[in-house]
Amino acid sequence: MQDVAAMPELLGAFLSKESGQTATVTGYEAMTGGYSRLMARAEVRWQDGTTETLVLRGDPPPGKAMMETDRDTEWALLSALGQAQSIPMPKARYYDSTGSQLGTKAIVLDFVAGQSLQAHLNECSPETGYGRHTFDLVDTMAAVHRINPDDVGSSIQRPTDWSTYLGGLIDRFRQADRNHAESNPFLRYVAEWLDANRPPPLPLRLVHSDFQPANIMVGTDGSHQVIDWELTHIGDPREDLGYYMIYSSASGPNLIVPDPEAFLARYREKTGFGEDTINMATLGYFSSLAAITVYGQVLAGAGAMARGQNSGIMTTYTLNALTVGHNNFLAGCIPPTL
Amino acid sequence: MFSRPTTDQVILDCRNELLNAVDAAVTDPTVKITIQMLENVLRNVAERAAHEIAWMHEETDLMIGFATEVEVALGKSDELTAALSAYYAGRSDSLHLDDVSKTYGFAGECFSVSMEKVFAASHTALHLRSREILAIRLDHENKIMGEWAFVGRG
Repeated sequence: MQDVAAMPELLGAFLSKESGQTATVTGYEAMTGGYSRLMARAEVRWQDGTTETLVLRGDPPPGKAMMETDRDTEWALLSALGQAQSIPMPKARYYDSTGSQLGTKAIVLDFVAGQSLQAHLNECSPETGYGRHTFDLVDTMAAVHRINPDDVGSSIQRPTDWSTYLGGLIDRFRQADRNHAESNPFLRYVAEWLDANRPPPLPLRLVHSDFQPANIMVGTDGSHQVIDWELTHIGDPREDLGYYMIYSSASGPNLIVPDPEAFLARYREKTGFGEDTINMATLGYFSSLAAITVYGQVLAGAGAMARGQNSGIMTTYTLNALTVGHNNFLAGCIPPTL
Repeated sequence: MFSRPTTDQVILDCRNELLNAVDAAVTDPTVKITIQMLENVLRNVAERAAHEIAWMHEETDLMIGFATEVEVALGKSDELTAALSAYYAGRSDSLHLDDVSKTYGFAGECFSVSMEKVFAASHTALHLRSREILAIRLDHENKIMGEWAFVGRG
């Protein structure tokens, strides 16, 4: 997928075979912005004379991924969400499930014209505020959490109940520690704290797991399309709230901080969840808890590097994300008072 | 061997070369992002090279001191005894980085097991003491991290 000289021919042959009409790839270039997967953009001319832009999303070479996720699962999920028309998102069109045609397992998606929400936010000034973007972000997050879990069928696992699920999520801190190349006391501390301070339950819903403005494309009419569903699972929707909180604290702007109560009130209004479950305390709790999904992946990459099984700048560069996680863990776990 | 320029000075010099000579000659946006990431990693490793052995020593003493304090205050347990035994059997006075790191890892496990005992006993004073040690560890990590944000995202 990275060989820009060879890919137009390979992709053209793949698209022709999958679509049943001849496709000619007239342009092909690597895309920046994605951390976990290889991304590329292709200009395609079809046999009937129409043209379009497509996006490829594929696995990095073995031993070069900062995190390991399953393309088969992602393809099944994207297909199910697209079929159910659950939420606006780029349509997943084709899939090389073996990597035999595109050089690596890769999904071909519709291209979304426009900028990411992150790019829009970068153009705003903190002094003048972020306008409609704050509530647009809340509304999109709520839209993800309103998706009926039945829409995704059996593409992803469904937990049996909230309490068992939460216990399993907490235990991932201990598992991450056990599987790492050295002891990490932060993980064991946070696991104990989270177990001792469980919040009231919520219905299990679809959780995006990397919900942040770089994964939201904004159309010319201001509408949102959510991308990058590789970590999506069924879980507690507050995981996305907490994850957004910590992600945007490290890579801002953080749209919660200017008025957290208004942010949470809007989210409650759009989801129908109550104040007993969506409040500042649960936001803090899930800020610690939610980080484990991505944190665990980054830590696994670091562990693989320590054992000589992984290499690459993405792994070394994102080691700092572990420190960001440790800062957030401690901030979210309120200490007792004497 | 020679010790000056120190390792961190050499690494930071490489970083300057990367930014001033290599980056200026590169136009490919994906490679420019890689250079920004490399710049960050080089700053991180320069800081580590300068301090990591001293910091691991300091933290090891604190973590083992805490484990001992917990054992005295809350009594012996199989888990903590096993962790401390592994530490004393595996620790080393060697200053080679790999040996210091192994000793640090054994001490980290003692600290983790101790904190679990503290939570089980709901012992507030020891809980707060464990937070102080975690804060020291985090302060070292933050010094290594320095200024950091995701580059190339958006």
